[in-house]
Amino acid sequence: MLPHQDEKEPTSYRGSCGSCPVTVRKMPYLGSEDVVKELKKALCNPHIQADRLRYRNVIQRVIRYMTQGLDMSGVFMEMVKASATVDIVQKKLVYLYMCTYAPLKPDLALLAINTLCKDCSDPNPMVRGLALRSMCSLRMPGVQEYIQQPILNGLRDKASYVRRVAVLGCAKMHNLHGDSEVDGALVNELYSLLRDQDPIVVVNCLRSLEEILKLEGGVVINKPIAHHLLNRMSKLDQWGQAEVLNFLLRYQPRSEEELFDILNLLDSFLKSSSPGVVMGATKLFLILAKKFPHVQTDVLVRVKGPLLAACSSESRELCFVALCHVRQILHSLPGHFSSHYKKFFCSYSEPHYIKLQKVEVLCELVNDENVQQVLEELRGYCTDVSADFAQSAIFAIGGIARTYTDQCVQILTELLGLRQEHITTVVVQTFRDLVWLCPQCTEAVCQALPGCEENIQDSEGKQALIWLLGVHGERIPNAPYVLEDFVENVKSETFPAVKMELLTALLRLFLSRPAECQDMLGRLLYYCIEEEKDMAVRDRGLFYYRLLLVGIDEVKRILCSPKSDPTLGLLEDPAERPVNSWASDFNTLVPVYGKAHWATISKCQGAERCGPELPKTSSFAASGPLIPEDNKEREQELPDSGALMLVPNRQLTADYFEKTWLSLKVAHQQVLPWRGEFHPDTLQMALQVVNIQTIAMSRAGTRPWKAYLSAQDDTGCLFLTELLLEPENSEMQISVKQNEARTETLNSFISVLETVIGTIEEIKS
Amino acid sequence: MKMIHSLFLINCSGDIFLEKHWKSVVSQSVCDYFFEAQEKAADVENVPPVISTPHHYLISIYRDKLFFVSVIQTEVPPLFVIEFLHRVADTFQDYFGECSEAAIKDNVVIVYELLEEMLDNGFPLATESNILKELIKPPTILRSVVNSITGSSNVGDTLPTGQLSNIPWRRAGVKYTNNEAYFDVVEEIDAIIDKSGSTVFAEIQGVIDACIKLSGMPDLSLSFMNPRLLDDVSFHPCIRFKRWESERILSFIPPDGNFRLISYRVSSQNLVAIPVYVKHSISFKENSSCGRFDITIGPKQNMGKTIEGITVTVHMPKVVLNMNLTTTQGSYTFDPVTKVLTWDVGKITPQKLPSLKGLVNLQSGAPKPEENPSLNIQFKIQQLAISGLKVNRLDMYGEKYKPFKGVKYVTKAGKFQVRT
Repeated sequence: MLPHQDEKEPTSYRGSCGSCPVTVRKMPYLGSEDVVKELKKALCNPHIQADRLRYRNVIQRVIRYMTQGLDMSGVFMEMVKASATVDIVQKKLVYLYMCTYAPLKPDLALLAINTLCKDCSDPNPMVRGLALRSMCSLRMPGVQEYIQQPILNGLRDKASYVRRVAVLGCAKMHNLHGDSEVDGALVNELYSLLRDQDPIVVVNCLRSLEEILKLEGGVVINKPIAHHLLNRMSKLDQWGQAEVLNFLLRYQPRSEEELFDILNLLDSFLKSSSPGVVMGATKLFLILAKKFPHVQTDVLVRVKGPLLAACSSESRELCFVALCHVRQILHSLPGHFSSHYKKFFCSYSEPHYIKLQKVEVLCELVNDENVQQVLEELRGYCTDVSADFAQSAIFAIGGIARTYTDQCVQILTELLGLRQEHITTVVVQTFRDLVWLCPQCTEAVCQALPGCEENIQDSEGKQALIWLLGVHGERIPNAPYVLEDFVENVKSETFPAVKMELLTALLRLFLSRPAECQDMLGRLLYYCIEEEKDMAVRDRGLFYYRLLLVGIDEVKRILCSPKSDPTLGLLEDPAERPVNSWASDFNTLVPVYGKAHWATISKCQGAERCGPELPKTSSFAASGPLIPEDNKEREQELPDSGALMLVPNRQLTADYFEKTWLSLKVAHQQVLPWRGEFHPDTLQMALQVVNIQTIAMSRAGTRPWKAYLSAQDDTGCLFLTELLLEPENSEMQISVKQNEARTETLNSFISVLETVIGTIEEIKS
Repeated sequence: MKMIHSLFLINCSGDIFLEKHWKSVVSQSVCDYFFEAQEKAADVENVPPVISTPHHYLISIYRDKLFFVSVIQTEVPPLFVIEFLHRVADTFQDYFGECSEAAIKDNVVIVYELLEEMLDNGFPLATESNILKELIKPPTILRSVVNSITGSSNVGDTLPTGQLSNIPWRRAGVKYTNNEAYFDVVEEIDAIIDKSGSTVFAEIQGVIDACIKLSGMPDLSLSFMNPRLLDDVSFHPCIRFKRWESERILSFIPPDGNFRLISYRVSSQNLVAIPVYVKHSISFKENSSCGRFDITIGPKQNMGKTIEGITVTVHMPKVVLNMNLTTTQGSYTFDPVTKVLTWDVGKITPQKLPSLKGLVNLQSGAPKPEENPSLNIQFKIQQLAISGLKVNRLDMYGEKYKPFKGVKYVTKAGKFQVRT
């Protein structure tokens, strides 16, 4: 019966549907004309028309072809005729067909509209509803004038099925009008339909009003409406309940008494079998009770059970989202789930995203009683087949180590014994962060380190190891020899960041163990300055080289000056956050993404895409605390700042400078804040790194302090600068002159200058 | 708040085999972000359920080897969407007996009808199975035969009465010749057992599923012998919560047909009996290409009931090439590609405990595995709720007839894992 070309059916059913008419792919389909012809003949055949079942089968074939992407618009007339039937399935199919092709065949669409209009007054409410829904879904110009009356009739229909459709139809009609004017009468009618006896009509009214009044801030929930909705809550289905709970967030109770009345009414929804409703109710509680912290805490205690149940739900997706919310709550109530810590043990068959969340949760609910068990459990995960999971377990142990240092360091040390690359690298990174935050463990870490260089291949791990060797090299006997290996292989090293770290580390180690390091430091500097191709590495090499020329004391002062205080808040875990700081994010996507990440996602929608990375506790770990790191980042940014390229070694004589300076006018003047001590040498060196030469400057401590700088870009444009520091005003005044008036390069130059000064300022503080 | 903009169904090999849009059409290319995440996740199981793309969010569920990917344009409560997608999958399961690509393709017209009724303009509408079934009759072989004889349609010409009832979960005017009310108490044990056989973690997840076929508007009360056992209970919306709070009685006007009455947890560990034990010895020798594998399974705290339907699944380490085992009972398979060992045991007879032992061949030269694999165990115990929960009585008010009542108990293994 069917043409044999059928075998080539595309695998995808492209359907279109009520609300969206066009998806039909126009694809050249061999023989589709024959199919259309054959179907047309069948549809017109009075014998088939007389046999209800056969007639419907033909129509079903039309639909099937349509969803497979064949152009079936050729039988439009015949299909419209087929809608004149009492068979509801047949009607549905024809409506589906009409909605798909009407916009493609505007000349015939009127025919469809007439048929639908007629069906809108059919005695069968189901037919009325279906016809109205299909009509509202015809997205084509000019359809508004036809649908308005049927919608208005539908709002007053005695069958709730039709009213539900009509209410949503209002929103669709509004969209067709281009969202411009709001029809006041219609809005009033919808507000009055909030009193409809059918619960779904009520919820649809809210949905529809929300869309129509979008520009005015959505549907207004005043006191009578709020209480009406609260009283209808128990009659709604779970979707309705969840949505109404969301709308109620807009309502602000007038008195404390009213507030507690509302909370009492909502109580039972905290026990709903639908996690969505439970979360919606929880959020409403948290928001309404924002002035009553004890009520908030009480609510969180009561949803503990449902949340935990969701965390072990059959649906892995529910588990995941529930776990994200558990973490959110833990931010404010650490220990809230501590007695249930075993619920967060991972089962090996769970998907990764759940395991990673569970590990994060475990890490946050450790206390004196469970630390042993939790660590044992985490220790088990560290050898998991999945490297990602194993690594996150190690990071988690590192997190716990901030409180329970000894136990954790011991576990981490044991892990090094496995000599597995992916484990060793993460352990070493964890160690690096740890000695920084918990200096008391330095000794243990130093003892654990020897030997692990053999099992580290990746950039992050090498950096961490080299950093540790540099900073604590005096306590690690073989430190110079390990670094020497890195120096030997520096040519084949692929990561510039590792070379940078190596430079810094070796220079540091040189300060504490000069005899062992001098030779290789020389080799490394030579390599970096003469052979290295990466600019940042080369500049760093030069920077250190010049620093060494100034004298060893100066090197010591700069490299080993006091580190920033580890108790600084930003390095520590964020303190407990009040519930109110996240209540409005509860039951949204924020807990899934983390607030900061969510902000970037929503901000750069359209500009950039961000993967759903899960925040890691160790995110701060990447950048060490040292001065040069800061510089490094800045330097790498510099080439981006406009098209400015400053030429190195462009040394002007003092005379020439003076002459030019006097002959030019100030092109730019600005003031930067500056507090406290000041080291001219540091500034000079930093400026040199970005190819700004210092012509002259006052000695340290002079008041006011002055400096004259010069620089030239690749087009020959000269920038002459005066820095004037007046410590009592806490500000640095910058005046720049330019021999060619070019605003663009001037701005780039100034931003370079600002960056350098800013960096020095940061280092100092 | 626009809920669901579009829905894509994607199979494991990455074909989009069905799409449905409730507003404007969103191009299939949006799924590329999903495929990218899928690629990154390596295993299909690990694709994160929420993905953001420049203009949309994709919230997906993975069910029966299919992805239901919904496209969302604005901020929404994620749980809401996930629950709804599961409801869609449940409905397919209910209608077609399975939620598979083949079933969905075979019934594509019904699928479209269903999606059309379940969502309008992106908002959930009719999702209760008993109401949907009146709008759209499920396909059955029997019915299509009957239809072909009588020429009657898939759908009644009358409007489903449930739509007009003021109780959203029950249609009005229900009539049965045999009035029946059945309850299934199903408990699943989630447990982690450590090497030495002691319980690291155990918990019972229970549900009471009901199948109610009663005429009119019956008002039911179900009471338990020991309601205090239940720790966290969540209820079907039909249950009067206050009554439970004050008297610990489940009082409700039931939906018509099948539905989940309550779900609960029993988590205090001393109450959770562990019905099986496993004796195991799995060892890999250093510097040798073989290892030993020996497990025996036996009954424990099984309250005198037979444990049946036992299956043991083990993900062996990657270095395992093959396994040469003998079993005293049932049959085993080892898949050298996925490294999954499956032992289908059947029933335990205490006189002769089933065991599986033999040699493991390892890849030569590879280091010996760091860790022994965990055993995943499935089992079933009929006529027992392991928590000890017992239904006391069921009373009906509001109707005069005498219904037939029944309660069945069953206990199963949930995530039941034994570490070795």
